[in-house]
Amino acid sequence: MIRGYSYPSLTPGPRPPIMLEVSDIRFSYAGPVLRGLTLAVRDGELLALLGPNGAGKSTLVKLIVGILRPASGKLLLDGRDLQAMSRREAARLIGYVAQESVVMFPLTAMEYVLQGRFAQGRLIGFESDEDLREARRVMELTETTDFAGRLVQELSGGERQRVMLARALVARPRLLVLDEPVANLDIAHQVKTLELVKRLIDDGELSAIVVTHELNLAAEFATSVLLMRAGEITAHGSPREVMTESHLREVFNAPLAVDANPASGAPRITIVKRDA
Amino acid sequence: MRMTRAGTAARERLTAKRLAMMLAVLLLTVVVLLIVAITIGSESVKLATILKIMIAEISGRAADVTPEQRIIIAEIRLPRALMTTVVGAALAVAGAAFQALLKNPLAEPAILGVSSGAAIGAIAATIFAESLPVSRPIAAFIGAVVTVAFVYTMGQSRQGGSSERLVLAGVITNALLSSIVIFLVTTAAGARQRSVISWLIGDMSGETSLLPLVALFVLAGFAVIYIHARSLNLLMVGEPDALALGVEVKRVKLMVYIAASLITGAAVAVSGAIGFVGLIIPHAVRLVGGSDNRLVVPASALAGSAFLLLADTIARTVIAPRELHIGVITALVGAPVFIYLLRRTS
Repeated sequence: MIRGYSYPSLTPGPRPPIMLEVSDIRFSYAGPVLRGLTLAVRDGELLALLGPNGAGKSTLVKLIVGILRPASGKLLLDGRDLQAMSRREAARLIGYVAQESVVMFPLTAMEYVLQGRFAQGRLIGFESDEDLREARRVMELTETTDFAGRLVQELSGGERQRVMLARALVARPRLLVLDEPVANLDIAHQVKTLELVKRLIDDGELSAIVVTHELNLAAEFATSVLLMRAGEITAHGSPREVMTESHLREVFNAPLAVDANPASGAPRITIVKRDA
Repeated sequence: MRMTRAGTAARERLTAKRLAMMLAVLLLTVVVLLIVAITIGSESVKLATILKIMIAEISGRAADVTPEQRIIIAEIRLPRALMTTVVGAALAVAGAAFQALLKNPLAEPAILGVSSGAAIGAIAATIFAESLPVSRPIAAFIGAVVTVAFVYTMGQSRQGGSSERLVLAGVITNALLSSIVIFLVTTAAGARQRSVISWLIGDMSGETSLLPLVALFVLAGFAVIYIHARSLNLLMVGEPDALALGVEVKRVKLMVYIAASLITGAAVAVSGAIGFVGLIIPHAVRLVGGSDNRLVVPASALAGSAFLLLADTIARTVIAPRELHIGVITALVGAPVFIYLLRRTS
């Protein structure tokens, strides 16, 4: 099932154009300090952001999404300055799923997903037929149609995470930014979620940045990997280049062993008990 | 157990049809309760007589009613009932707005101490500008704005705000501001037009000359909040979410916060700090119709009017010929709801 994915480093030919350009981003308010980060995401890329807790992964994606403003540096999406855009403009281009979102009010899954159409629609009035069509489409994709009428508060953690993903997709974004999208999911839904993201990417709909602690999932699905520690990028490249034993041991300060997954050839990370 | 609602499967989202239906039912309720409020009282006046007086008042012709009847209806009961309608709508809408802004179903003008802040503004206006009653709602608005900013700041911790922390900040602020209200009313001669109790618990027996101005303030504030209803839907889920989904969070928060303070100030200036209306009414509306603010804001306005008309009718009649402060009724209903909500949100 996982076999057959092509990795950019193995594919000859010209590389696709850069869609997101982050250059020399600095940020120092609350949380880890980011000292001049630079990276680029190409069309059709699935970038996995890996690193220990507190490395600045969430801060970096919040800067990209526009929830936080950098002290200095540039953010370009398809060559356009993200910081100069209105929130509505930026929201049409970037879909975001936050690490956690506590809903304090009774809200149905359908209402929640339709929130993702805010930037498309009128400021006043009701959702259009197109809004509803799009909502049904993404709820089909994320397998959340069955509980469209249920309250988000009543959903299980995994169901809620899929509804959050649906909300991020409903505006057909150019860039999908997911902060630990599989943290509450069982292994089947973890794979399903990343397969869905992969499929959307392959359909040419979007590129994605995924923050995750699931190293093996990242190794299988990501086209590139960015390793972060203490607010700095320590490695950036294909999973094979980045997810080496020495890199991972150093960044995570954990006894890990890396070999190749016999099915896919992707790096496979295993835990080595210290006394073993 | 989380909140469940009968027939949720049938209700996926708010539609224009459902909105219109709910508002129509509520509007009818308000009209009925308005008539009840005008009809019931120490002097019983027949509905037909009331109609005659109304027609006479509007057309400017004399009606064949006694002068006493005309005064009771046209100059006492009707203005009071209309003022109650406006204040009820104001408090409920302010509650709904503060709840969405602060992402907290427990937020409410009186509980947050905002009403006490508004009361201090109104009292200060009666002390320093007694001959200028118009200054009262304006000063009350300023008192409300300052209090919201203070309570909000106190309710924030380094990890962001929590429900309990915000309520605690409100309770303490309220205690402090209530003492200032008592101090001002007891010491300043100009502030003795209303009793301390009337300011702190609220009553609708005050003068009604400010009705047009208060109605204007409330209408303006309502309009601002209503046009931001969709943005509030997103803010209610969280500021990061709202920002990511395209809401100009800072601007929307500022506008709605000013509008809600304006409404609170106008209501408190004429009726004191009536509590719990802003808590129970939006909650009840959400329970029945969901959390979409395109419904919650207008439906709370109408339901708040209906609730306060009912409460005032009870307050006027239950221990007649004496009158109960209306805040006693709203607190008797509201406090248990608050406790229930506090337990559920913790």
